[in-house]
Order: sequence, then structure tokens, then C-alpha cells
Amino acid sequence: MKISRRWSCILKKENVKPVDMHRRFVTIWFRHLKTDWISIRRPAFAKLPFVLTLSVHGKMVITSANALAEKQGINIGMALADARAIIPSLEYLDDKPEPSGKLLQSIAEYCIRFSPAVAVDPPDGLILEVTGCAHLWGGETDYLTLMINRFKGMGYDVRAAMADTIGAAWAISRFGQSQFVIESGQQKFALLHLPPASLRIDREVVELLHKLGLTQINDFIGIPLSVLRRRFGESLIKQLNQALGNEEEFILPVQLPATFEERLSCLEPIVNIAGIEIALRRLLEILCARLKMEDKGLRSASFKCYRVDGKIEQISIGTNRASHSIVHLFKLFELKLGTIEPALGIELFILEAAKVEEAPPVQEKLWKGTCGIENIKFLELMDRIAGKIGTANIHRYLPDEHYWPERSIKSASSVKEKSNTEWKTDKLRPIQLLSTPQHIEVTAPVPDYPPMNFRYKNKLHKIKKADGPERIEQEWWIQEGEHRDYYAVEDEDGNRYWLFRSGHYTGDKRNQWFIHGFFA
Amino acid sequence: MSYTELQVTTNFSFLNGASHPEEMVEQAAFYGYASIAITDKNSFAGIVRGHVAAKAKGIRLIPACCLDLLDGISLLAYPTNRDAYTKLSALLTVGNLRTEKGKCDLYKTDVYRHAEGSKFIVVSPSALNSEFEFEPYFEKTLKEYKSVFESNLYIAASRRYQGDDSKYLHRLSQLSKQLQIPLVATNDVHYHESGRRQLQDILTCIREKCTIHNAGFRLHPNAERYLKTKEEMLRLFRQYPDAILRTQEISESCQFSLLELKYEYPEELTTEDRTPQQELEFLAWQGAKEKYADCLPEKIVTAIRHELRFVEEMNYANYFLTVHDIVRFARKQNILCQGRGSAANSTVCYCLGITSVDPTKFDLLFERFISSARNEPPDIDVDFEHERREEVIQYIYEKYGRDRAAIVATVTQERQKGAIRDVGKAMGLSVDTINRLSSSVWNYTDEWFEGKQIAEQGLNPNDKLLRKVLQLTEQLMGFPRQLGQHTGGFVITQGKLSDLCPIMNARMENRTCIEWNKDDIDALGFLKIDVLALGMLTCIRKAFDLAKKHYDLNLTLANIPQDDTAVYEMICHADTIGVFQIESRAQQSMLPRLKPRTFYDLVIEVAIVRPGPIQGDMVHPYLKRRNGEEPVEYPSKALEEILKRTLGVPLFQEQAMKIAIVAAGFTPAEADELRRSMATFKAKGMVTHFEQKLIGGMMKNGYAKEYAQRVFKQLEGFGSYGFPESHAASFALLVYVSSWIKCYYPDVFACALLNSMPMGFYQPAQIVIDAKKHTVEVRPVDVNYSFWDNLLEEKSGKYCALRLGFRQVKGLREDDMNDLLSGRKKAYTGIHELLDAGLSKAVLEKLADADAFRSIGLDRRSALWEVSATADKPIGFFAGQKTAEEKAVLPQMTIAEHVVHDYAATSLSLKAHPVSFVREKLELLRIVPASQFEVIQEGSIVKVAGLVLVRQRPGTAKGVCFITIEDETGVANLVVFEKLFDKYRKEILQARLLMVEGKLQREGEVIHVIVRCCYDLSKLLRHLTASKNENLPLLTLSRSDEKVSPVPSYPGHNKIKEAPKVIQEEIFPKGRNFK
Repeated sequence: MKISRRWSCILKKENVKPVDMHRRFVTIWFRHLKTDWISIRRPAFAKLPFVLTLSVHGKMVITSANALAEKQGINIGMALADARAIIPSLEYLDDKPEPSGKLLQSIAEYCIRFSPAVAVDPPDGLILEVTGCAHLWGGETDYLTLMINRFKGMGYDVRAAMADTIGAAWAISRFGQSQFVIESGQQKFALLHLPPASLRIDREVVELLHKLGLTQINDFIGIPLSVLRRRFGESLIKQLNQALGNEEEFILPVQLPATFEERLSCLEPIVNIAGIEIALRRLLEILCARLKMEDKGLRSASFKCYRVDGKIEQISIGTNRASHSIVHLFKLFELKLGTIEPALGIELFILEAAKVEEAPPVQEKLWKGTCGIENIKFLELMDRIAGKIGTANIHRYLPDEHYWPERSIKSASSVKEKSNTEWKTDKLRPIQLLSTPQHIEVTAPVPDYPPMNFRYKNKLHKIKKADGPERIEQEWWIQEGEHRDYYAVEDEDGNRYWLFRSGHYTGDKRNQWFIHGFFA
Repeated sequence: MSYTELQVTTNFSFLNGASHPEEMVEQAAFYGYASIAITDKNSFAGIVRGHVAAKAKGIRLIPACCLDLLDGISLLAYPTNRDAYTKLSALLTVGNLRTEKGKCDLYKTDVYRHAEGSKFIVVSPSALNSEFEFEPYFEKTLKEYKSVFESNLYIAASRRYQGDDSKYLHRLSQLSKQLQIPLVATNDVHYHESGRRQLQDILTCIREKCTIHNAGFRLHPNAERYLKTKEEMLRLFRQYPDAILRTQEISESCQFSLLELKYEYPEELTTEDRTPQQELEFLAWQGAKEKYADCLPEKIVTAIRHELRFVEEMNYANYFLTVHDIVRFARKQNILCQGRGSAANSTVCYCLGITSVDPTKFDLLFERFISSARNEPPDIDVDFEHERREEVIQYIYEKYGRDRAAIVATVTQERQKGAIRDVGKAMGLSVDTINRLSSSVWNYTDEWFEGKQIAEQGLNPNDKLLRKVLQLTEQLMGFPRQLGQHTGGFVITQGKLSDLCPIMNARMENRTCIEWNKDDIDALGFLKIDVLALGMLTCIRKAFDLAKKHYDLNLTLANIPQDDTAVYEMICHADTIGVFQIESRAQQSMLPRLKPRTFYDLVIEVAIVRPGPIQGDMVHPYLKRRNGEEPVEYPSKALEEILKRTLGVPLFQEQAMKIAIVAAGFTPAEADELRRSMATFKAKGMVTHFEQKLIGGMMKNGYAKEYAQRVFKQLEGFGSYGFPESHAASFALLVYVSSWIKCYYPDVFACALLNSMPMGFYQPAQIVIDAKKHTVEVRPVDVNYSFWDNLLEEKSGKYCALRLGFRQVKGLREDDMNDLLSGRKKAYTGIHELLDAGLSKAVLEKLADADAFRSIGLDRRSALWEVSATADKPIGFFAGQKTAEEKAVLPQMTIAEHVVHDYAATSLSLKAHPVSFVREKLELLRIVPASQFEVIQEGSIVKVAGLVLVRQRPGTAKGVCFITIEDETGVANLVVFEKLFDKYRKEILQARLLMVEGKLQREGEVIHVIVRCCYDLSKLLRHLTASKNENLPLLTLSRSDEKVSPVPSYPGHNKIKEAPKVIQEEIFPKGRNFK
């Protein structure tokens, strides 16, 4: 990270005033970016022709095709139906527009090893400024070959070219025939036999040029600029000039995301708990200060202690809500500090925030009315309890849109999870719901009138009042079976129960009755 | 105590109810109900079906509806008499017409205005509030309703099985007592049996656009909304027996039946105080005199007398007069029309001018089409020119008024693909799986539902979820999804149409239609007239106009010289490109075998290449008998009468149905039902039932089983595409007329055809090539000579020269060209003049692309160069000045390049055929031109290459693919068998220039190539534009280090769609695909 910062300083200076030395650029073109990526992740696809599709006005249109599909004549923009007519076994996947940007970004970050100034060139290319880089890698040709081979090794089908200008390198990487390293100052000659499309100009202009018989750059490079501008617009002139190097072109290099990691090395090995505590507190102070400055907070962190004997002792914590409170985080770690065995001593401490989230400063309130999950104190308490008894032992339930009682609640995965439905209050529901209903013996008039008494845990309950039935049908898409007729009943002691009969009354089937809950 | 279900939502409350009206009624009858109501949401669409089913089961249907209001609580409405029904119908009409199609906006006040004579039931809220009470709003509305409807108001009470039912009913009864509004029991039925609940859940998901997994509380909690038995209803309401009694009170007071709806013909059709029958007789005799002058043939006189008597007996005079009126209007407006259908081929219709098929030419018996026993209304469909049919439709609306004339609805049904998509989506299947499932559908068969075919798509047929999807799909299929408008079926009445049925807006502007479809109005005895559109009539009218202008001929459908041998000669040689109906590949290969010589032969020709005869395997026997290779014999004496005209082989739908009646003992009504059940897939079980009955019946009467099976297969074929003799006869006339024009005036025919595009099988290129073959000179599009339409110029040789119009150029718009034409006071001499005429640069580019500047001395490239500079045209003070500019030298275009660009702009080229440029290369490959076929011996192996015109894989041909390719000398007909098709699928589907090797097969004049292998030579077309690398200018850097291939294929081209040069083979038409 530090290296790249330094590079960017140099670059900035350069951008301010173009130095009179030849700049060099590499463009890399991933011919099948998305499909290659899929093949890498799912090797089964590598040997199949397949395409990615997107639904456009209800028609499935191909947005990417892998090399095998392309070889058989499948092109981008084709309707899937047409393509399947050609290759009936053609596999197809949904194209998600989002990952390609991320993918390109991550490849660009990878490329920082080749050059500090890497820019993405959507949808499927990269541009690297490599001025002065090549000699570090054994010359321009070796440098370019190395890059190409790296990507080929990963499974990407790439073409790349190097030239003085972005435009020339772009053109050669897409349309070049053999020579991919264009010597300094030779870009004009290299471009002559390329088609106009290599100039990154609008399709309409390309078509017009072709219709006029100007099918190579060579055909119109000699025409006076005013004549060209009049017919084909400013962009052609600009692109031509940029490709030839008569006009400067800039790129916007990608930046690596920052990591939140702090280290503290010790002159003497630390052997006691007090020392470890001091180290932890120091690291927390630095890290939290950084987090606070960037309006961030951590959700999980680990504290690693490197012992002189080469072993690593580690403790981890998690929070329910992004936090940069030193006191709170220290408390969480403190519960576990006892597990660290310093043995012969610890020479290095690293505090790493594995998961960091945005934590915008909360506005102070005049009166603290909030309780529950909005209250920071409550959340910090939860963090500490969880640190002691484990997160798995704390449950939180939310309503879920199901009629079937067992499914009408679900346990929440985090305190942040919000339910997309309200607690249903229109029907009477017991305060305690048995996780599995239990058989009971019941006397009830048929077919669906409320029961008169029931025997539960060997005690006979005479029913004084009852309401029902509430008939709840199976959710057939989850499970098929009998419906349930629920009754809310009150016995002579005034206790209230939730009972149900499974299915319609049948004379021959026993054990149809269950108890499922208790009312307050 | 008896019970009547009064709240029934069927699947005509789209995506609400989960049973057909018929199913509801049948279930009710099964439970012993004496009557049942149907209350769909703001609609009467389902009541006729219910009525028909109820009649069949001997119970009574109470027509009713549920009024969902925008500003009040829903009401169920039951008309007690015809007037009340009429008012409700008018109410729904008001709601329908006030908003867009598919919606009905009603307010309380509307209902108050139309309430007279109806009983109303208020639909109660679904739940009590937390205080176990109803919301005050309900009580308030109840009071308001009570003050309006008084004693005609009731409150609905339903058992919902929600736990608090007793409280709920108690509260309702309290309210009822307090407000003096009696309670009435209903069960709010949504499906006829509880098993349909799953489907109802799916419908809810489709309606709410969610999946079953996230539908949540939008579904019903239980399956209680099914039709319950009377005993169960009595038990559920044992505490409120009065509520049950009320159902009988309402049921008894609502005695109105749909049978009371009297259809009345419009009256303004007669003149001079004649009765309709007198008027019809008057017009018929008058017409007869005009047609036959004074010497009326005896046969005609007898026929007219006979038919008129029949019409009188059946009281159809008004119907004939209505059709006559519409046809008369069309005549007056010079719109061509031609009637077809069961009654259309009568002598009376000929005399009235409804049809132009001369009955003397054609031995047609009236009763052959209409049988009084079946008592089915006569059927006359009238085809009009497709471009001008709207005029006829608007005439009907105008003459009778929108309150008296409307288009019949069509019920759009869930088809298998749509059903599987809907169910799949609702069940949360991935798009991918849904696609696979739906692509596994070829035919609607039981195997599919058993999952046999889905295994082929890599899906597990034993998967529970998939099986459920298939099962629900099967139930959903045939469900009505929405009401559309019929293609042209009109109902016209004497009184207000909305008295009979609610009227609604159609999707199209200026159209209104009724809620009932063809079968519904059939059932009620309403008459409908089909006003249809036919492209060929447009073409023929344009041809007549051209013939009048250039050859001074006054042609009509009726006065074209008949029985012309030259015309039949041409037809026998299959020289029928562009001719109505007989231009397809299958027809063209049938013509030389059938050799039509008379009008009736054409009728057979039109009818024989159809799924019916083909599936029944009747084509070959007929051809054999016709050519005398097989004796003409009849399966029995009884069938001789039916089959005499077609040499003992049943070819027409009527014949097959008659066989069912005569040979298998069907009643006429049953035969009709058989036909209907074939057409809809709803009655799946019925088909098997009929199959057994037909085959069994025929075998009992001594017919061979194999023959019986063939007849059944044939009927099945007619089910998918019914084509009766009565229609074939009308079509045959148009076949003859279009052939006659083509035969004598190919220039007129080609011009009219091009101006009526798109229609038929062929592309403009083939029509132009065909015209040239008939020595018509065709001239290119030009800014100084062309008009929007193609037109005929002065005579050049035997025929007028055909000048292509701007309509042939892709992307040009008619109003732009009108600017061009109005600016063309004198010939244009430069591009700037066109610019001054107001044409945009884009339009000029299109014209340049079409090479339309030749008359001002510019070829397309120079023109484009000029046009491309027009963006900064001098204006104001400098207007008109020429801009000084250095001359740029552009590369010359070769003729081949021009042809390529001609195709790109107009899909055709008059300069040369593209294949001619690659002939040399083809010769090196020993590929012969198509014209050589005539001299090559049968059975030899030939190679031939051409542009693909048509690919056809008819469902009746067992996977065989028929391909037609064209080179510069003519066309070649290829036959590819299924195995080869699978092997060469890619080549066949992708190639623009297809080369095949195969065996030459000759059958009379018909020559086929039975393909053995295929090659895609499309790449050759790329070379048509010359590569310029040979003469590179001096700038070039030494080429020693570069490998430049003559035709560079840049890897970038696959990705970056650009330049026509590289994708230039795509310029050529892809060929059209037909099933």
C-alpha cells in the first residue's frame, strides 16, 4: 500500500506537466471476460459452449458468449432462441450486470504489481501506464508476454499491446495482426491498415466510413482534417489525434482499499497480562482513532500475539453493531485475555479489524427514550453476554408471514435484521408455544365442535369456555398433510390452553388431538 | 330446508376464482342444488357458460354479479326480472366504458341509479376489529344502503373458520336486527372442490406478482372456500336458520333466466314497407336479373326459390339483409370483399353480391352447409381488404350506433407455455428451469404431464416440486385469462345492446366489444357477422386499379373471364409465386401432380394441403384415384353421396363430420360437439371419449378399423386447423382471380403485390425476380422518378415497366417522402435541392444507401460523400453558396459491392444476383446452377448453392425440413430428413448462402434434391466487396514484418458490432422460417 502511495505521488507530478519523454501504455483486452471468469470458478463449464443472457423486453438476448460458443457462430446480441436452434445443448446463465465492474476492478488491483497506474476500461479492458516499467521486467516484449501469460495461466483469453499512446495500444490489442509491441514513434504506421472501428469511435461513424469505402485508417488519414471534421464530427479527429500521439490522454488509476491493521513490536518479550493489556489498549487507541476519523466502526476483530517460540496466540471478538469505542472493545477482549499463554514471551502484537462497517456519528438526543435494539448500552451488554455464553445461546424472534403456527415466527440472525411484516395481533396466540405439539386425550362432540375435556400430563382438565375452531391449512408448497382445527379453551381453574385436532374428525383414527401452547 | 349458494366467484373473475363456471354448476347439480348463482366481479362474462351447463344438468342458474365499488362496500346483485337485468347490464357498461380495458370503475351512486328490481347482498368485512366489533364505517354504509334499497337489501354471513366465527356471526346478527336488514348465508365460494385451493393460491400469487414463498397473508388461511353440500351449510348455520331460509327467498324471487333475452335484428334494413322476407326476396330477384340478364337459368330459379323458402322457414332474412347492407357499403366505397362460410356460397348470396362464386359453376347444395336439424345460425364471414377494413367497422358503428353494435369478445385462455410460466414463476422456479420446462413442451400430451418429456431437458421428472408444477399447470390450462376482442365478429341488435350484455372498451381505439364470446352468443341465439381482413383482397383491388389505369380494364371479382385454359396451364406448372394460397412450397409441389383444370379442382387444391387431409393420410389416395391409378370406390353405399365429389376420399371437414354422423351414428349435435372439443384443449377427456365412440361406431357398422382411425386422425387435424369446403370455395375464387392477373398482367400483379407487402411467403426480391422472368422491366428507386408506392410506367415491350417505390427502401418514412414529392416541381439536379425541400440528413443518407441519386449523376458512394457534408449547410446570408472544398478521391465501387449495398438498403438488387459473383468459385467446386436440373438425370448426385429463401418444418412432415434456395438462375427445392437436419442444424439455420450435395429426384415437373450434406458458404459473400490491399498507397510501411491476409479477419470484429463489410453476409435475408 505504501508503495502505491509513493507511485501515485510521482504520477501526479507527471500529470501536471507532461515530461518530454515518451510515455508508454499497455492495453489488455479480455475477450471473454465474464464467461472466462465463470469457467474458472466452475470448471465444468470450461469445456461447454455457453452464453450469458439478459431479458430484454421479454426476449432472452445473449450478452456474452464463451470462445466455444462463439466458434460455432453464436454472437452477442443474438436471441437465445436463435442460438439454441443452432446449438440445442447450449448452456445459458443469467447475466448479472453488476459483477463485471467488480471483476474488472479486482483484476486491475491485481495488475498493480505490473505498474502502479492501472485504469479500468469497461466493459472488458484495462489500461496500464507503463512508462519506465519495462526494464524492470526484462524489456518490453518480455514484460508484455509475461502479463499475457499470467492471465492465460489463470484462464483468461487476453490480447494485449504496447504503444506510445492509449489509442494505438487499444487499436492494436483489438485489431492487430501480429506485432503487439509498437516501437516508440511508430504508432502511425501500425495504425494504417486497421479498420476505423479501432479508433474507438461511434458505430454510426464507422458505418459511414465503410459505406464510403474508407475501410482502413490509411484511406482517410490523408484527407484534410477540415473535410473529415465536417463529415464525421470532432470525435473522429480527437480519437485520431490521441491515437497518433498529437493529443494527450489521461487515465484514472484505481486505488487499493485501505486495510485496518495495526502492529506493535516490543523491544523485550512481554510475559505478563499487564503487558498484554497495555499492548491491546495501545493498539485499540490507534485503530479506533483511525476508524473514528473515517466514520467507521468494526464488527469483528482479532488480536494476535506472536510468541518468541514462533507460535501465535489469538483471540477474536464480534459486535452487534459497528463500534469504535475503546472502552467497549477492550471489555470484550478482556473477557478472553485470560486464554492467552505468553509462555516465553510475546514479541509482536497485531490487531486486525476483519470486518469494518460505516458508522456515521449518531446525533445526541436530549432525552434517551430509546430502548431495545436501538439502545447502544443494550447492544454493548449483549456483546458482553455473548462473549461469555456464546452468541448461539441468545435468541431473538421475528414475525414471519405464515399461517402455520410453527412457521409464524423465525429466529433472527442478527440484531440488525428487521422483519418485513408486523406482529399479527388479530388472532389470539399463546404466550408460550410448544416447539412440538404434544398428544392429549380429548372428549369432543363431532365433527368440529370444541372439546369438553382433555387429559394432559395425567391431569384431566374440564373445559368451561372455548372458542374455535380456527382452521389452518397446511402450506402445501412446504409440506402436505392434514389441516389443523385450533381451539382456545379455558379449564375450570381458569388456565387457558391452545389445543388442536389434526384433520377432520374420523371415528377410526386415534391420537388426533394435541396441545400446542399456553395462554397467560 | 333447502339452500342456494349465492356468492360464487368463478375464474371469470380473473385470477380470483379457481374453477370454471361449468364446474361450479355441475358440482352444484351433483349435490342436488336446485339453483345456484354466479357472481363474478363486475362482470357477466361467465354466466352464459354457467347457464348452458345448468340447462344441461336441469338446474337453474341465477345470473348475478358482484359489484366492487370504488367508494363503498361490495354488493352482490341479483336481477329479479328482465328489466332489472337490463339495468345491471347498463350499470356494468357505464363502469366499463368509463375506464380502460379490463377495468370497471363503479361508484355507489351508479348502483343506486340502476338498482330497480334487483336484490342486493352486502359483502361483510373479513374480520372483526380488536374490540370484537365491526368498524363503524360498515354500519354507516349499511344504513345508507338500507335507505336506498330498503327491503331488497341483505347482509351476507359466511363461516370463515377463523376461530372467532361465533362472535362474528353474533355481531352480524346483532347488526341485522338493529338495522332491520336480514342475514343471508353464503359460503363465498372460490372453487368447486377443496382440492382446487392450491391452484387458487397460485392464482393469488400471479395476481399479486409474488411467489408462493413470499405470498404470506395474501393467501387464504384455509381451504374452506369450496362449494359445500346443503347439509353442511345447514349445520354451519344451525343457529341462524333464517339465514338459510333467505337464500330460498332470494332464489325464488330471482326467476330471470338468460333465455328471456330476445335477440332482435335491426330493422332499418328494409325499404318501402316491405317485411324483411319480402325485402330479401326483392333484392335476390333483382340481383339475379342483373347477374344473368334476362335469361335466368332454370337451375338458378329453382335454387333461389328453394333457398328463400328455407330462409323464411328459419327466419334468417334479417341476417342476410344485414350482411348485404355491409357488403353494399363496401361496394360503394370500392372496397373489395368476398363472403365465405356455410351460408355464403348460396345462390341468394351470389345474387346479393355477398360472394362472387358463381353457383352455376359449382354444384353447391344449400343444406349441405346449413342443416335445419342442427338449428345452428347461418355463418357468413366476409373478408375485406386488410388496409380498409377499419372503414367498414366504423361504418357499422356509425350506422347502428355504439349502443347497438359491438365486437364479440374472445376469451384468451391460458395456453400451455403461458400456464407453465405462470405456475413456475409463482412456485419460485428459476427463469432457467422455467425456460427448460416450457421448451420441453411440443405438444399437449398426457406424457408431458407425466413428466416423460422433461427428462430430456435434464430435469428430474420425479422431483416433487416439478411434479406439482406440472399438475397445477394442467389445472390452469384453459383458464380464461382476459377478454380480448374477436378479429371481427360483430353483434348488431335492434334495441340497445347493453340491454343484453355489458359493453366494454377494447384495447384498440374506437372499438367497443361485449363481454361474451362466440360460443356464448351462439348459445343464446344471437347472430354475429364476421368482418375479417384479408391481405390478398388489398392486393387484388390495387391490381384492379392499376389495370384500369394502364390497360383500361374494368375488372371485378365477378367479371374476370372464367375457365381460362392459359391460367390453369400456368397453375399446373406451379408458376404461382405470389398467388393467393397456392404459392407455398407444399402447394407448388402439389400443383403439377393434381393438375387443376376446373374451378372445383382449385377448391380441392386449397383444401388438400392442410393438416386434416394430411394427418388422415387422405392425400395420396386422392391423387392416385385422380390419376386413374386406383379405382374409385366407396367404403359403403351410404357414404357414396357424401364422398362422390372427392372420388371417395374425404377431404373436407364437412365430409369427415358427415361420416361421423352417417357411419358412426353420431347425432348432428354430437358431431358439432366433437369438432368443438377438438378445437379447444379444455375438454381433454372428451376427445378420448369421442375417439372410442367414433371408431367403435364405425366398426359396428362394418367399416375397417384402419379406415375409422384415419377418419378420426383427420378430424383431429381439422381441430387444429379447420378448413371446410365452404371456405375453400371462396378462397378458390381468389386463387383463380390472382392467378388470372398474374397470367395476363404480370406487371400489374407484381406491382400490386409489392404495394400490399408484407404478405404471403415471398420477399420482394423473389417477386421482382419472378416479374423479370415474365419479361417485365423493373426499374430502380430514384429520387426523380419514384413515388412512395411502386408504380407502372410506360410500356416497355409487352408490359409496362415497374418502377420501384420508396416503400421498398428500409427506414424511409412516408411523410418524409411526401416532402420530397411536393418539392419535386421539376427534376432535382443536386443534393442541396433535396435539402431545401426539407429532407433531413438521415433521410438523404437512406436515399444514398438505396442508390437513388443516379438520375442526378451520382452513384451511392459519391452521393453519400455529398450528403455527409450537408450538416453545416450555409444558411442566412450565405445560403445557396457552394462551399469550396478539396476534392477527395473515393475508391470506386465494383458492381458486386453495389449489389451488396442494394440488398442492404432494399433487400433486392436489380443489377445482378449476388450468387452470380461467386459462380466462378462455385464452378471450381463443381456446383451446378439450379437451371441445369432439367437436363440432369434423375438419381444423379448434384451440388447446388444459393441464398436461403424459406425453411419449412411442417408439423405434419415428421421432422422433415423443406428448404428453398435461390441462385442467379432459379430456385432449388431441398428436402432434408430429420437425422440430417440434426446433424447439419447449424449450417441450415445459419447459412445465408447454403451449398448442399444430394440426390436429384424428379416427379413429373417437380424436382427435389434429397440432401446428403450441407455446407455454409456464407463466407464467400464476404469477398463480394473487393479488398483494397493490392493497391496500397505509398504511405505503407514495408510489409516484410507484417502478415497481411487478403481478407483481414480481425478478432475485434466479433465483439464490436460494426462495419457492414464484415458482417456483410448478414445483409442478405436470413430466409424465413415456417412451421
